[in-house]
Amino acid sequence: MFKNSICFVSFFFLFLFSLINFFFFLFFMIYNYVIFLEWELISFSSMSLVMSILLDWMSLLFMMFVLLISSVVIYYSKSYMSSEMNLNRFIMLVLLFVFSMVLLIISPNIISILLGWDGLGLVSYCLVIYYQNIKSYNAGMLTALSNRIGDVFILMVIFWMMNYGSWNYVFYMDFMKNDYVMELMSIMIIIAAMTKSAQIPFSAWLPAAMAAPTPVSALVHSSTLVTAGVYLLIRFNVLLLDKFFLKILLLLSGLTMFMAGISANYEFDLKKIIALSTLSQLGLMMSILSMGMAELAFFHLLTHAMFKALLFMCAGVIIHMMNDIQDIRFMGGISNFIPYTSLYMNISNMALCGIPFLAGFYSKDLILDMVMMKNLNFFVFFLYFISTGLTMFYSFRLSMYLMINDFNLLSVYNLYDEDLVMLKSMFVLMMMSIFSGSMLMWFIFSYPYVIYLPINLKLMVIYVSLFGMLMGYMISSMEIYLMNKFSYIYNLSSFLCLMWFMPNLSTYGLNYYFLNMGQMMLKKIDMGWSEFYSGQGMFMIMKKYTIFYNFFQMNNNFNIYLFSFVLWMIIYLMILMVM
Amino acid sequence: MMKFLMLMIFTIPLCFKKNMFWMVQNMLFLMFFMFMNLMIDILYYCNLSYVFSCDILSYGLILLSIWICILMVLASENLFKMNFYYNFFMLNLLLLLIMLFMTFSVMNLFLFYLFFESSLIFTLLLIIGWGYQPERIQAGVYLLFYTLFASLPLLMGIFYVYYKMNYMMMYFMKFFSFELYLLYISMIFAFLVKMPMYFIHLWLPKAHVEAPVSGSMVLAGIMLKLGGYGLLRVFILFQKIGLKMNIIFIVISLLGGFYLSLKCFCQIDIKSLIAYSSVVHMSMVIGGIMTMNYWGFLGSYILMIGHGLCSSGMFCLANINYERLHSRSLYINKGMMMLMPSMSMWWFLMLSSNMAAPPSLNLLGEISLINSLLKWSYFTMIMLMFISFFSAAYCLYLYSYIQHGGGYLGIYSFYMGLSREYLLLLLHWLPLNILVLKVDYFMIWF
Repeated sequence: MFKNSICFVSFFFLFLFSLINFFFFLFFMIYNYVIFLEWELISFSSMSLVMSILLDWMSLLFMMFVLLISSVVIYYSKSYMSSEMNLNRFIMLVLLFVFSMVLLIISPNIISILLGWDGLGLVSYCLVIYYQNIKSYNAGMLTALSNRIGDVFILMVIFWMMNYGSWNYVFYMDFMKNDYVMELMSIMIIIAAMTKSAQIPFSAWLPAAMAAPTPVSALVHSSTLVTAGVYLLIRFNVLLLDKFFLKILLLLSGLTMFMAGISANYEFDLKKIIALSTLSQLGLMMSILSMGMAELAFFHLLTHAMFKALLFMCAGVIIHMMNDIQDIRFMGGISNFIPYTSLYMNISNMALCGIPFLAGFYSKDLILDMVMMKNLNFFVFFLYFISTGLTMFYSFRLSMYLMINDFNLLSVYNLYDEDLVMLKSMFVLMMMSIFSGSMLMWFIFSYPYVIYLPINLKLMVIYVSLFGMLMGYMISSMEIYLMNKFSYIYNLSSFLCLMWFMPNLSTYGLNYYFLNMGQMMLKKIDMGWSEFYSGQGMFMIMKKYTIFYNFFQMNNNFNIYLFSFVLWMIIYLMILMVM
Repeated sequence: MMKFLMLMIFTIPLCFKKNMFWMVQNMLFLMFFMFMNLMIDILYYCNLSYVFSCDILSYGLILLSIWICILMVLASENLFKMNFYYNFFMLNLLLLLIMLFMTFSVMNLFLFYLFFESSLIFTLLLIIGWGYQPERIQAGVYLLFYTLFASLPLLMGIFYVYYKMNYMMMYFMKFFSFELYLLYISMIFAFLVKMPMYFIHLWLPKAHVEAPVSGSMVLAGIMLKLGGYGLLRVFILFQKIGLKMNIIFIVISLLGGFYLSLKCFCQIDIKSLIAYSSVVHMSMVIGGIMTMNYWGFLGSYILMIGHGLCSSGMFCLANINYERLHSRSLYINKGMMMLMPSMSMWWFLMLSSNMAAPPSLNLLGEISLINSLLKWSYFTMIMLMFISFFSAAYCLYLYSYIQHGGGYLGIYSFYMGLSREYLLLLLHWLPLNILVLKVDYFMIWF
């Protein structure tokens, strides 16, 4: 029965495809080989509408990671979603999601990328509203509409690209770089990528999307959907170099990193903490990308995908065991009860923080070193290093709350660590989040970066990390009366913990105006003036005149007869008198 | 072309025999496949017989109207089951199809006008004959008088054109150009009412709300396209003046599209919401035609075909809910995913096609329209972005409001989706998403 289940079959095939992609990646990497396929739908007026497929080492490697994570996530949901009635629907949605992600990865054509881009938005909407409650309803709407902004911008890019005669952007990026239209396009592409990757004005949806089931969060909102924007910009990176808007992107993504890091420290929801840390890492990827180092961003994207998926899966196990409680104040001391899961959780947390020789170290340390090598202003430098410290801060706080602090669960509990399906699926990712950093480093960077720094600057990462660790320890052991002291700075803390009021910007702050406007339009135009000047108005005029003429004709004909009789009689008499 | 006309005319006696409901549909299927195999040349009118002929523009729309009529039969099986004058229904349907067929296939401008108006009669009969509420009389009057009000000037305009041109063949219209404001207005206004443009769209939601499912399907599927077809035909006369005057209609319809998409959020009737959404789409079509460039013409054509299939499918879905819950209110149609999970998938597929999700014709049409409108003026970008965004928003609003969450507790009895209904939806959805693979038929036609 187990062998025939949809989870197992999907797991098998996805894993197989992942391996195949891996070997193809090695082949393509070694021979520096690229396959570009075009399928022409139509060509007219010297414009060709094509579906194109680009297979190079980058797309193959990304596909391998996506398929690997999705395969283990599906295997994991065999146990996590075991009491779900509509498991088939769930798995099919996840598979559809993976399919659209793959389409997004392989097509470098701005029209055919819509197939994946829109598909991601729609399927992730279905997955976020998977649970039937109001919270997921609202979260899904927020997610889908935030992503839709990006879709609209892509649609507009399609128009601007029409001038070039084809929508294969890879052909035009090099020599059309300083074209005015190309600059406009690059702004639109950046905005589209910012919506998908939840950068600052659009970042409210990512924590809200945690209303989805945890496997979905592990796959969708950590490693695939949100990295689609980063991936698009990686593909566009030639175009983006040395543009003014890129500096704004650097600022916004740096602020995203900082904002998410701070908000994560205020958060008590287990999944939201991880979501905010995802947001922070996305900010890191975007910011390094906006400095022109696309390969580094890609590197961090891949390693981050591994340990973040693992982190979410661990969170899922913990939520399962905690009687579906997500609040970390209920947890504590669980490392005594579920050692394996705690082990995985710690490894992924450490990898996230960039503890040496785990996956995150290779990408993150390299990124920070390169940032220090760049000629940057103090503000960006500050954002980077404070955010690195904050990563350590919230990760350590989370670990302390979960594993070290006192045991706080309800009096009836059932903690166990024997769910082999979940443990096995997490094991794969655990190995990957240990090895993938060094492995990818050897694969991607054929020669090492030269980094030349003074000793204190090099040790800066260690300093901020240690400081963050200390802060995390202190804040996790804070007593309740100390926490209440935050109410002295209530305005500031609410500003920081509500993600700088960004959810208000995307929801209550904005929709009121549009809904009110629609209501007003409906009342005043459709039911008001339009009706008055056409249907009902004409009816009223006709009714009025009909009544008026009826007055002479039908209703009081007796009066009229009498009146006319008298009139005629008078005239007759007058004629008689005259005669 | 006469053979199709004869086929339809000689199918009429079949309507009056007992239990020949599906037989008539089979005949229409036969006709559909016969018509599909018609030889069509890209550049010319083909298959001439008497006044009928068919170029690729009318070819697609005739195919669409036959297809929608077939699906109308499939959707209104309830009439057959309840024995609710289904003979007359089939008669009405066939006559309507004959009128539509002739509208799309005649080459004569006056005959086009004649059949254009006479198809209205059968729609009216469909609404006031098989509609649900007593308000259908008012809706019928709205439908009739809105279109008649604008179509009598069209008649005068056609006579004037005849007076000047001395013949009325549409093919020869390309050799003439008129620069008369009044003629321009009178020739296009009837089609704009039919489309409908913003401000004169009020008859459409009313007619949809009161119409039976077949009436809604034909209204959304074909009647709106008559206006688009007419505009595409007569604009060849007004190329010069159109460049001056079209800005008025483009601005009205784009702003109107934005406002209407906001109004969709205030609708509580499913059918009314879908009707408003089709007005939004049609406003983009008007914009595309009015820009008078290649992308605009073909985009409006593609979007007309796509929207005909898509919104007709959504009206089917609304009716499927209506047959079970006897209400179209959003407050009662709730939590359907619990009761009809597979139908929920179809809702999602239809609505995602409606909001121009990728493989659908709607996306292709929308891309073409965006291209044409933005090429016409860059300032339309703002309105197009709003329309595109809000059309997604109301589609998702409709989907999640109906499908998501807890159900309505006052349901007395319920049944699952029938295989007939799944077939119905499949036959709507499949051409909508498959035809993208063969876009030559839509993109190269003049």
